[in-house]
Amino acid sequence: MLTLSEVQNITGEKGNFQVEILKKPRYVREDRCIACGACTEKCPGKFDDGYNADLKTRTAIYVEYPQAVPLKYAINPAACLKLTKDKCGTCQEVCPADAIDYTMTEETVTIDAGSIILAPGFKPFDPSRFDNYQYAKFANVVTSMEFERMLSATGPTMGHVTTFPKVPANPKKKKDKLLAEKRKDPKKIAWFQCVGSRDVNKCDNAYCSSVCCMYAVKEAIIAKEHAGSDLDCAIFFMDMRTPGKEFEKYYQDAKTRHGINFIRSRVHSVVEDPETGDLHLQYADEMGQIVRDTYDMIVLSVGLEISKETRAFAEKFNIDLTESGFAKTGSFEPVTTSRDGIYVSGVFNNPKDIPESVLDASAAASAAGDALAEARNTLTKEIPAVPETNVIGDRPSIGVFICDCGSNIAGVVDCPDVTEYAATLPYVTVAEETTYACSQDAQDKMVEIIKGKRTQPHCGGGLHPEDP
Amino acid sequence: MVAACTPKTHEPLFQETLKSAGLNKYLFEMTNIRNHNSWVHKNNPDIATEKAKDLVRMAVAKAGLAQPLKEEKIQVNASVMVVGGGLAGLTAARSLASQGYETHIIEKKDTLGGEALKLWKTAQGEDVQQHLSTLIKEIYASDKIVVHTNTTLEGVDGFVGNFISKLNTNGKTTELEHGIAVLATGAKALETTEYGLGKDERIISTLDLDKMFMENDARLDAVQSAVFIQCVGSREPERPYCSRVCCTHSVENAVALKEKNPDMDVFILYRDIRTYGERELLYKKAREKGVIFIRYDVTEKPKVKVEKDHVAVTITDHVLNQPVTIQADLVTLATALVPRKDERLANFFKVPLNDEGFFVEKHAKLGPAEFSTDGVFVAGSGHYPKPVNEAITQGRAAASRALTLLAKKDSLFTSGTIASVDVEKCSACGVCVSICPYNAPAFMTEGRFEGKADVNPVLCKGCGLCVASCRSGAIHLRGFDTNQIFSQIFALGETA
Amino acid sequence: MESKKTGSVVVIGGGISGMLSALDLANSGFYVYLVEKGPSIGGVMAQLDKTFPTNDCAM
Repeated sequence: MLTLSEVQNITGEKGNFQVEILKKPRYVREDRCIACGACTEKCPGKFDDGYNADLKTRTAIYVEYPQAVPLKYAINPAACLKLTKDKCGTCQEVCPADAIDYTMTEETVTIDAGSIILAPGFKPFDPSRFDNYQYAKFANVVTSMEFERMLSATGPTMGHVTTFPKVPANPKKKKDKLLAEKRKDPKKIAWFQCVGSRDVNKCDNAYCSSVCCMYAVKEAIIAKEHAGSDLDCAIFFMDMRTPGKEFEKYYQDAKTRHGINFIRSRVHSVVEDPETGDLHLQYADEMGQIVRDTYDMIVLSVGLEISKETRAFAEKFNIDLTESGFAKTGSFEPVTTSRDGIYVSGVFNNPKDIPESVLDASAAASAAGDALAEARNTLTKEIPAVPETNVIGDRPSIGVFICDCGSNIAGVVDCPDVTEYAATLPYVTVAEETTYACSQDAQDKMVEIIKGKRTQPHCGGGLHPEDP
Repeated sequence: MVAACTPKTHEPLFQETLKSAGLNKYLFEMTNIRNHNSWVHKNNPDIATEKAKDLVRMAVAKAGLAQPLKEEKIQVNASVMVVGGGLAGLTAARSLASQGYETHIIEKKDTLGGEALKLWKTAQGEDVQQHLSTLIKEIYASDKIVVHTNTTLEGVDGFVGNFISKLNTNGKTTELEHGIAVLATGAKALETTEYGLGKDERIISTLDLDKMFMENDARLDAVQSAVFIQCVGSREPERPYCSRVCCTHSVENAVALKEKNPDMDVFILYRDIRTYGERELLYKKAREKGVIFIRYDVTEKPKVKVEKDHVAVTITDHVLNQPVTIQADLVTLATALVPRKDERLANFFKVPLNDEGFFVEKHAKLGPAEFSTDGVFVAGSGHYPKPVNEAITQGRAAASRALTLLAKKDSLFTSGTIASVDVEKCSACGVCVSICPYNAPAFMTEGRFEGKADVNPVLCKGCGLCVASCRSGAIHLRGFDTNQIFSQIFALGETA
Repeated sequence: MESKKTGSVVVIGGGISGMLSALDLANSGFYVYLVEKGPSIGGVMAQLDKTFPTNDCAM
């Protein structure tokens, strides 16, 4: 796994490529960082948190989210005071593992590979240039990605649906404080479909992004779960595109069971109420009647775009693109690009949802692997199995892990209470609460706990699984 | 013990974690406090918390009685049987053959190609028959692929790595041993009489129109007015799914008609136009060429009436809000795609079908080309209707997933949660032998306990039928033993 | 026995598609280099709360 890395050059041909990769410095030693977070507590540098759709800022030394793989911090050199102005240096002082290294530099490595798979993904369309929806000016017009982060338990509002989401939770500036006072729980939210897709008038994206109809329905359903079933959700669409497996049922359920309104109309423009931040809109319904309505929030269902960087990359390496910027593939070799030996999968290979991206991934692996069939097993190693500890006859020692599952469980169940209770049960020696038990960091912790509890106290710090 | 979401998603992950820490993976208990608790008792957080405590108490009680269990190693027969010789099946076969695995294609018709033989062009305008025949040639040219046409599957025994299938080729039965199976049986166009299909030669289906294009049928030259009706049989109570391919197919054919004769009136009567992805550009092209799109609601379907010199199609236009009658020379119905609903085949491999008859994959997102049944994979429209490029993608995906299994020939293991017989208690009544759907128990034929029942750990799926049926209480379900289940019941009776 | 082709694959992009390609290839006997421009893998899917049509958590 090579993170903070980008491909600079590809030479050679199918079966024998040489890939030159630039590894950008992390400024944190991966072999030492224990992800304790002490460095972030005092870091003065700030930059926009792209993971949270820029809804909040984060410190210059950061980890993208608590379940990140690898769970190692990194320093953004543009935001770091030490790296830009040779000031501060606090993180190095407080780091208990001596993992910070400001002297790290970029490194170039050249790798030999038989096949290459391109899966660079997409970037959500940026609606700032649309003046009719005033995304850049109106606080309560948000993108679907921003809304998604708002719905997330690990997001900037911890899953709470609220207006003025871009205003910080504890505002310091006067302007922000005034806006924060207007904040409320929205009662009516509208989704506008096809923003940045199926549009050659205001942008150049003639294609359909495939996923937005489904994700808008999903966001509406989940918003109602978070905010209460009387939240009025309306989806303004041209065509409802739910052609996938179980998708049509999902759509019909949204109508009948969840009470989501589907309005076939394209809203022309939005006007903001300067006092409340509410949004007035007007649209023609299917009968041609003009309807005026007011919503607390508008979510723009932005499309999937191939970034300029990806396009440049493709051009540099002779990967043919369609006019919409996606990789050009044939129907009978759907994961093969114009360059022999280079395969493509995911959204870069035409907009698609997760199940289809997963199929693409396996298909690309199949194509990449078939090209190298004779070289299979020439470069891999077997991982030695961990010998099993014999516990027969031992007194049971049960470790209990209560998962919050983000807010899925913790939003309803009092997890700390359950954890405390679990500790009182017979044979329980460890009872811990965790945000996402399935994440890598939680797994690592479990392994540590299991190994720790297996060693005798007098063995000291060494971990010897063979010991009884 | 982990109290979290459904074991269906992450139990294997946690078991791997235990393994990497040196613990037997069966010393793990998982209780679902999400689907079974927080999701269903959203409006009662206090009760939900109490219930979570109950569930945790029960799971801890069972965990205290957990025993390390052994898994048997399975040998894998490194060959594959692909059921269905259509695009998806052929693609999977070609890929696996290129990796060096002997692959058998079972096709019930006398030629390969499946429904693709009836298709004219792909959404990107490629000639299907040309590419298909190239693919078929490659299949026959491969020395690793054996094609069995005119062959049906009559029965399947065994399990992953060790399947024995009974084939019937023109009345002759043979047995095929293989390690892996790929089900690619596809789907076909709905046969219906709705809108008068079959009553008049001017009312046809999409595939009929494709045939006319492929054969350069002179009738097309005489058409002045063509109407397409979408969603025929799809998105209705009887078939509440979208057939995915029809909008694109009709739009493409409409463009072809316009290109043939720009003066032809072409109408598409639709509910939603679903030209997803870059197929949207075809929709744009169609509108630019003058194809007229009229929307209808499922409550007010178009009416088709055969008149002497034309077919009258009446529909309430969504802009005028008035009924409009089109005098059509050709009415093409975009009929639904219907799966084979082959329950017999599904039973052979113990794989599920959903209400609509499509195969149910292991996991919608993380396992779309495989089944929960180990060693069996799925591709093509049998899984869900899909166009040429997606069928081929899934065919390749199934091959890739199968390869990860074949590549590990020496390290496939059975489950540890299987039934085992306490021979001291066994009364040799034979109930378990007759009741097991997997033929796992059998009478021992030699040794000290000859005549008593013994369960083959490799065949046993741990379903518990024999355990419940044994009148002597001689069979134990490892990992779910009587004392373990009772401990949970007693724990429930206690209060937090 | 020298193989003329290199038995390794470079996967560019550490999102859901890239990660799964890498896993399939590694599990089939190829050495895989997964190249990701960000500090961690996961891509856009890691930013999602729930995923349709099952409403399972993205994480």
